[in-house]
Amino acid sequence: MAWRVGVDIGGTFTDVAMVEEATGRIGIAKVLTTPHDFSEAVIDGIRQGLAREKIAPADVSLLAHATTVVTNALLEHKGAKAGLVTTRGFRDVLELRRSSRSDLYDLFQDGPAILVPRRWRYEVTERIDAQGAVVTPLAESEIDGVIAAIRDAGLEAVAVSFLFSFLNDRHERIVGDRLRKALPQVKIFLSCEVLPEVREFERTSTTAVCAYVAPVLESYLGRLQKAVTELGLPKLYVMGSSGGVFDIAEGLRMPAMAVESGPAAGVIAAALVGRQLGLANVISFDMGGTTAKASLIAEGEVAVTAEYEVGGSGHVNRWQHGSGHPIRVPVIDLAEVSAGGGSIAWVDPGGALKVGPGSAGSAPGPAAYGRGGIAATVSDANVVLGYLNREALLGGDLKIDLAAAEAAIARSVGEPLGLSVPEAAARIIEIVDSNMAEALRIVSIERGHDPREFSLVAFGGAGPIHAASLAGELQIPEVVVPPAPGVFSALGLVATDLRRDYSRTLYADLGSVEPAVIAAAFDAMETEGRAMLTAANVAPGRRGLLRFADIRYRRQAYELTVPVADGPVTQETLKGLVAAFHDKHRQTYGHASNKDAVQLVNLRLTAVGRIPGVTLAQRANGTAAGRTGPRDIWFAGEGFVRTPVHWRPGLSAGTVIDGPAVIEAVDSTTLLPPGWQAAIDAQGYIRMKRR
Amino acid sequence: MPDESPLRIKTDPARFEVVKNALYSTAEEMKIIVAKTAYSPLLKVAGDYSCGVFDLAGGMVAQGPDLPIHLGSMPDAVRAVVKAFPDAAAGDVFIHNDPYNGGSHLPDVNVVTPAFLGSRLLGFCCVRAHWPDIGSASPGSYGAVTEIFGEGLQIPPIRLYRDGEIDRNVEALICANIRMPAERMGDLRAQVAANRRGAARLEALARKYGADTLLQIMQEVQDYSEAMMRLAFRKLPDGEASFTDTIDGDGILAPGANADETFIVKLTLVKRGDRITADFAGSDPQVAGPMNAPLTVTASGVYCALKMIADPKSLIPANSGCWRPIAIEAPTGSVVNAQSPAPVVYANHEMSARVADMIFAAMHKISPENVMAGSQGTSAIVTFGGVDYRTAERYVSYESTKGGFGARPAKDGINGLASTVANMMNTPIEMLEMSFPLRVEEYALIPDSGGAGTWRGGLGVKRTWRILGRDSNSASCCERSVTPPFGLAGGLPGSPTRLTLEQAGKPTERLPSKGGFVAPADARVVMEAPGSGGYGPPAGRSRERLRDDLIDGYVTPEGARRDYGVDPETL
Repeated sequence: MAWRVGVDIGGTFTDVAMVEEATGRIGIAKVLTTPHDFSEAVIDGIRQGLAREKIAPADVSLLAHATTVVTNALLEHKGAKAGLVTTRGFRDVLELRRSSRSDLYDLFQDGPAILVPRRWRYEVTERIDAQGAVVTPLAESEIDGVIAAIRDAGLEAVAVSFLFSFLNDRHERIVGDRLRKALPQVKIFLSCEVLPEVREFERTSTTAVCAYVAPVLESYLGRLQKAVTELGLPKLYVMGSSGGVFDIAEGLRMPAMAVESGPAAGVIAAALVGRQLGLANVISFDMGGTTAKASLIAEGEVAVTAEYEVGGSGHVNRWQHGSGHPIRVPVIDLAEVSAGGGSIAWVDPGGALKVGPGSAGSAPGPAAYGRGGIAATVSDANVVLGYLNREALLGGDLKIDLAAAEAAIARSVGEPLGLSVPEAAARIIEIVDSNMAEALRIVSIERGHDPREFSLVAFGGAGPIHAASLAGELQIPEVVVPPAPGVFSALGLVATDLRRDYSRTLYADLGSVEPAVIAAAFDAMETEGRAMLTAANVAPGRRGLLRFADIRYRRQAYELTVPVADGPVTQETLKGLVAAFHDKHRQTYGHASNKDAVQLVNLRLTAVGRIPGVTLAQRANGTAAGRTGPRDIWFAGEGFVRTPVHWRPGLSAGTVIDGPAVIEAVDSTTLLPPGWQAAIDAQGYIRMKRR
Repeated sequence: MPDESPLRIKTDPARFEVVKNALYSTAEEMKIIVAKTAYSPLLKVAGDYSCGVFDLAGGMVAQGPDLPIHLGSMPDAVRAVVKAFPDAAAGDVFIHNDPYNGGSHLPDVNVVTPAFLGSRLLGFCCVRAHWPDIGSASPGSYGAVTEIFGEGLQIPPIRLYRDGEIDRNVEALICANIRMPAERMGDLRAQVAANRRGAARLEALARKYGADTLLQIMQEVQDYSEAMMRLAFRKLPDGEASFTDTIDGDGILAPGANADETFIVKLTLVKRGDRITADFAGSDPQVAGPMNAPLTVTASGVYCALKMIADPKSLIPANSGCWRPIAIEAPTGSVVNAQSPAPVVYANHEMSARVADMIFAAMHKISPENVMAGSQGTSAIVTFGGVDYRTAERYVSYESTKGGFGARPAKDGINGLASTVANMMNTPIEMLEMSFPLRVEEYALIPDSGGAGTWRGGLGVKRTWRILGRDSNSASCCERSVTPPFGLAGGLPGSPTRLTLEQAGKPTERLPSKGGFVAPADARVVMEAPGSGGYGPPAGRSRERLRDDLIDGYVTPEGARRDYGVDPETL
């Protein structure tokens, strides 16, 4: 039987999820992550998983991987020795960035990290103007000097980014050709190939990120591919930031695509749940040990953003320039907050209770884990209130120290605020829930979507405990807890499509542009996309080419993305685009300016190789193992209530449970508050609604 | 230490935190809407605006991640509306730019929208945005004039929208007085849209928690910041210190003079217990040209620097409560407490930035650990205007070039980064050139411009524009061309501002640091924004850091010899 295998690397565990294509049956393996060489745990986990499910390597039809290598190289400054070649007079564009600071009042803030130090930034005489015309011809005689300097410095990769190369790429390509010929061992990235879009800093940054991480990514993926080949497994695919997988060759052409690989996989898995259950509108909610992430899937479409900074501080994807390295590649639109099971609660000198951003992580961990942690964490509060089992977790593998949890909460929160231990624990949960609600709010209400029209798909080790409360906060009517929520992101890897995103900047007044100009740009991208799909052996019937346009009022700087219908581009197509833009502007910002000129800025194409769908299932096995008796659980406004505890593998399809109740499993606990009702569906999903 | 923990919050701490976060994210969301919908590059890519949520009396409850320069005056701008319109109703939008009524300078236009739950007034949302032009004789409204009447259109607090509809008479009057009115109306719609979203969020909060609770928390958020600031002040040593600094001039040449006359600002800082007083006695009287700061502009500089000193990790939410323990005294009619009709346009950023730097210099004598050496201390503004040869349309370009962020004890300054009251972004060169008939020919760090020190100052930045097609009607506004940004604790000063005009076949011409000039077609205008001061004696700089500076070209071999007394060959 054919199986698909997904491997996701987390901070503590490397998760392996296996799905049998015909039945949707799920297998799981979890091994400790090996930070010195991530590929070790990946291989070890795959071996264990295959052995456990008795899968022969030849039966693996798809192997997909979410890698943290790119994000880690940027966060830990462990990328390559990379250089940059720019237009003369502009080598400092990368360092000068946008000139604003990310924290207004932090006196001792550091300047932003610089991927390419000034000593390795070189200038070449040339200039293209704002109309794409050559003002200063390229001084080809200067290129040899740059080549010598790169060789002398022993650089491993070089980015080339000239002003206005998105309008006229000739100079960049000449320099690129010369460098590639003279320095075959050095990886060369051209901004016109990586990101042919306006804004020199963002384009240069994206290109520099590619150069900085490419050697690391190549070495890692090379090792991994070799090891999986030795195991007799098929070609390795890598999850990209936009939620599709690509093969290694494609990834090395555009390494920036591999940021946020793991979180993207979780969102893709949530989208699969939506499709499988017939839910068009889903909010994915992933809560782990240190952070919680939310993303929105409307009408079945995963939301993707082109404004992203990697390696920054603070909330991911908020309006915070200057804390990370901007990459303008499509990234799944996630809101991330520092809120997880390990988040630490504390009272500040002004008397306000805070949770996070500090985390006890896996070492020392929450006080309740008995590994020396003394800080009061969210997990400690969950233990005290009875949401988490007060004796043991992970099917008995992790013993719980209730007294330690109570002491930590009393010391850190209860005494300073004059609250009892359960009251203090309840406040901690209330705050962490509100922090996470903010992430949900960012992706829904702030983007103009009404959460009442969505279902919440909750996963990650801690997600299903907090989901009902968050759903209540945002008036989300339904919570879905999928199979294997603890390794859910790895499941997303096997459910995704092959995907590659292309874009072209094309400034045009949509009222007067010739449709043929737009058609030609789409044709060029479609040719590239088809070639990629052919190279990846995607059957013709499984190919998709999706077209989009970034549009704005002529004088605006930010666009809204509107889909472009298939078929020939005609005047009618353009009229439809203008109308769709006005509508979307009104929906997003509350007004439209129908008299103002509407401008096309970018055309986008997404080439998709569709992978046959799978149906995830976790059916009851009737086992009573792991079942525990009822326990006292605290609920707001009621205090401790004697509450039944159910063992998830023992719940057969059609079971209906009225809250309050707890549903436990090896990898995750689900909390069903009073007033909620849970139904177990035919595939083993827990579907929770208010009664 | 219960005596140090003034627990003043009466609302449940968890609810307080939730609503406080919601109020701050409201201001942040307003900020995003302006960026995404505004029309002028100054707003949409450079971010020269601030957003805030205000209580019934005009107190600032939350500011977005914006510009500290607006901290002092925005509450007064909202108070002016509160006072003028006791009858504010749902669907109203108010507008004004009066610098003597809580504004900052005429180009900064405040749009204020009341928020309601039913008929209950909850507070106000305000977006202050710098319009690239507000009329006057000069494109960009940055001319050196001697009365505020010459600085552009003055808008007192007036009602702009009623029942959600714009007043066409007001709109027509504004459009008749400014350049490129269609673009301005796009900016105005962005401001209105941001306020609309802000007011809707306040309404939702009131519906959920009750209006009484929301209003109480809007006060408590300010009380909380006040308590935290007092606590932080108490941790600083008591003391008193003075610092006097020299201002380049006001852009107006006295009859018979061939250089702009300098003048002084004097500051005495008194720190006692949990209070700080900034006294400007001894500062010069207000001047003829637009370097006059209304008191609220001076206050912004004081507040920003004291916040950075008292709360260096930036943990205290910035709102009106923060400033209650701070007193500001300035002689009426002085350059730091100017009276109408003195012109003000330059002082908004130039005086507030200077005041902020001076606070650090004075505080260095009281508490040397929590300060920075002089930052660039100027917004280094250049405006270009005229007619675009490519389209025959009018244009106005307004840019600020960022230089060095000051060196600190145990940390170098930062190269080319907005400091203290400023946080504008640069305008991407490619967007600038597509929008305006200009070509940027250099945008680069200036070697040796960071003040030498154990901790080196941040480098200044050079930006060169070539004027394309037709002459440009231009203006400048800079400081620190006479007195460079100071070093501290033995650190040397950074490089001064230098603005020049280069024309083929003519000697390079030094441009005035303030006022209008014509930049002929094909000429080059070169702005060199200052580097920041160093901290600690140059001899204390580690060999490794100096060697890296040389390799990266931040310091030249000559600079190493001159400023550090080190022969580069020996490194």
